[in-house]
Amino acid sequence: MASESILRVNAVDKAFGGIHAVDRCSLTVLPQSITGLIGPNGAGKSTLFNIIAGLYRPDGGEIWFDGTRIDGLPPYEIVHLGLTKTWQIPHELRNLTVLENLVLAAKGNSGERLLNLFFRPRQVKRDEKQWRARAREVLKLTQLDGLANEHARTLSGGQKKLLELSRALMSDPALVLLDEPVAGVNPALTGSLMDLIEKLRQGGRTFFLIEHDMNVVMNRCDWVIVMHQGRRIAEGRPEMVKTDPVVIESYLGG
Amino acid sequence: MASTSSGGIPNQAAGRKLPWSEVIAFVAIAVIVLAGVLAGVLAGASPQGILTNVGFYASIAIIFAVLALGFNLQWGYTGLFNAGIAGFYLIGAYTMAIAITAPSPPIVIGGIPVYPGHLGGYSLPLAVGAILAMLAAGGAAVIIALPALRLRADYLAIATLAFASILQILANNLQSVTGGAIGITGIPKPITFVSANAPFLNAITIVGIGSAILLLFLLLLQFMAESPWGRVLRAVREDEEATMALGKNTFNYKLQAFALGGALMGLAGALFAVTLGYVSPSSSFAPAVTFSVWVMVIVGGSGNNRGVIVGAFLIYGLEWLSVQLKDYVPIALAAGLPTIRLLLIVVGLIAVIAAGVFVLFSRYMPTRGWGRVLRKIQERGWVRNGTIGAFALYGLGWVFVFLEQYKPGAIGDTIFYTRLMFIGVLLIILIIYRPEGILREHKRVLR
Ligand SMILES: Nc1ncnc2c1ncn2[C@@H]1O[C@H](COP(=O)(O)OP(=O)(O)OP(=O)(O)O)[C@@H](O)[C@H]1O
Ligand SMILES: [Mg+2]
Repeated sequence: MASESILRVNAVDKAFGGIHAVDRCSLTVLPQSITGLIGPNGAGKSTLFNIIAGLYRPDGGEIWFDGTRIDGLPPYEIVHLGLTKTWQIPHELRNLTVLENLVLAAKGNSGERLLNLFFRPRQVKRDEKQWRARAREVLKLTQLDGLANEHARTLSGGQKKLLELSRALMSDPALVLLDEPVAGVNPALTGSLMDLIEKLRQGGRTFFLIEHDMNVVMNRCDWVIVMHQGRRIAEGRPEMVKTDPVVIESYLGG
Repeated sequence: MASTSSGGIPNQAAGRKLPWSEVIAFVAIAVIVLAGVLAGVLAGASPQGILTNVGFYASIAIIFAVLALGFNLQWGYTGLFNAGIAGFYLIGAYTMAIAITAPSPPIVIGGIPVYPGHLGGYSLPLAVGAILAMLAAGGAAVIIALPALRLRADYLAIATLAFASILQILANNLQSVTGGAIGITGIPKPITFVSANAPFLNAITIVGIGSAILLLFLLLLQFMAESPWGRVLRAVREDEEATMALGKNTFNYKLQAFALGGALMGLAGALFAVTLGYVSPSSSFAPAVTFSVWVMVIVGGSGNNRGVIVGAFLIYGLEWLSVQLKDYVPIALAAGLPTIRLLLIVVGLIAVIAAGVFVLFSRYMPTRGWGRVLRKIQERGWVRNGTIGAFALYGLGWVFVFLEQYKPGAIGDTIFYTRLMFIGVLLIILIIYRPEGILREHKRVLR
């Protein structure tokens, strides 16, 4: 049925003390889609993303990414498999510059291994140069290029969101989990960012994003999954979800 | 100063301004050394004696600088708090002592064992001893870090603190290995001199070798820490979870930084053993050493390798200077008492007159020329702070004068015994006005 899915979450469970944040949640994401994840505050969306990215260990269930079982793997191995997550609350590396934040997010930069510094200086130099150039390209896409050499801590809230997205793109992921990517970003930029995401999707990437901005969800996602109290309660095309009585009930009933 | 490099790629902002903080730091160090020299001259020491003394300052400051470089790699770059610097230092010193010293059999006098001897007597070359010291201390760092780095951050501090205390107790009680309370003596010098000038020549060689080692490791650390590898360390310091989510095995980086830092501390211990010629579980490896290194790194500027070296030379310089002044200050105070009293009276009179004039004229202050300057001074609150400070100093002056008359010599001693408090006050002032240290961590501008 969902054999061609890029991400499959199967009965994943997570409780914090008495709070059952994710409750036997199952869902799939199709490759090259822009799939939206919506639900009221506290529905467990961010928690689910953190579990998928390996930052929380699930209490039960399985997660499959591109044919590999990834639950229980450390976050850095999941990134190397091609799955990257951004944070709802930006986790910028404050005292590094914007450019450093991006270059750091690249995979396989040989200078990040200590011995290579001494035994492969030429490759180190070449890699670093290549990744800096790539980082500048990405910054142009997200319109942060003017701030390349500023400390990340000096960015505004919206700019930090852009930094999150830019960093995610640096690792060349097949699947990107975006936790509220445009919250706090001004409307004009939101449009061009979603255009960028659309373009990247056409280039073969998959996006799975949490968003409260219904404009974005309705106009940009081609599939929407609704979460409530830790479970998937509905899914479908945006226009169908919008009119689903169960969904309306969960939002209004809180 | 040498510009930093990142895997050979230039990393420095173009068009640097005059580095004022560096100028101030170097002037401060120069003033400390000159004051020490002056104290020697006034005490009537021979030129060679004074130079030997300055050499001693430099060699111990170099040792602290190596410790500070190690701690800076762990804490300044990676955010790993080491509360047991003294422990790694001790391991290095004892490893060096055991490796390079000639055999020393137990001493028994009248059937009573006076000295149990110690492990070793291998008479290895100094360089081999230093490498062993680094391996031993680095290995110890790995053994502690493997469990502690997997836990929450504060456990590392607790583990290292316990480790250092245990080592000091072991050094005291593991007599057949460490020589117990007496320790290990007769550690050979790099070059054996047989002349009346031996202390002087020894000081010169030690400073020479120490400076070369310090420079070598500064360059090496600068190369490593300012590389892509070092960038990951700084990322771990900023936010370990985020760094992990960006695809880095943060545990490996923490382990590497902690082990290399520990090895550097071991090297400092090896230098210490050779500089003093003996090691014993005395104050040299007490927690105070750890605290000193913290202060040096914070004052100098954590995350800046040159800064922490400056911090070491400054803080140890104050300590050294206070010893130099210990004998001189009481004499000078006693001799200068009438002058000081006169000075206080004159200053007091001038202050009263100046204050009166200022109060009278501040109402009719002109808006141009001098008036503007005065107003600006007033706006910035300098008058209030300055007045408070001046009164405090003035009162202190009179307290000194009366105390000195009542109990001559007491003040000089008090100054000596409150020197740590003085350093503490300096630290507090610095943390308030410049929390990032004298030489702050620079921004890495990539091109
Ligand atoms: N680390 C944690 N410790 C304890 N409780 C947590 C933790 N993280 C999340 N929770 C709780 O789990 C529930 C789900 O939170 P989560 O952040 O996943 O919601 P969300 O759907 O992302 O909400 P929002 O739309 O507000 O971001 C909430 O009740 C939250 O308080
Ligand atoms: Mg959330």
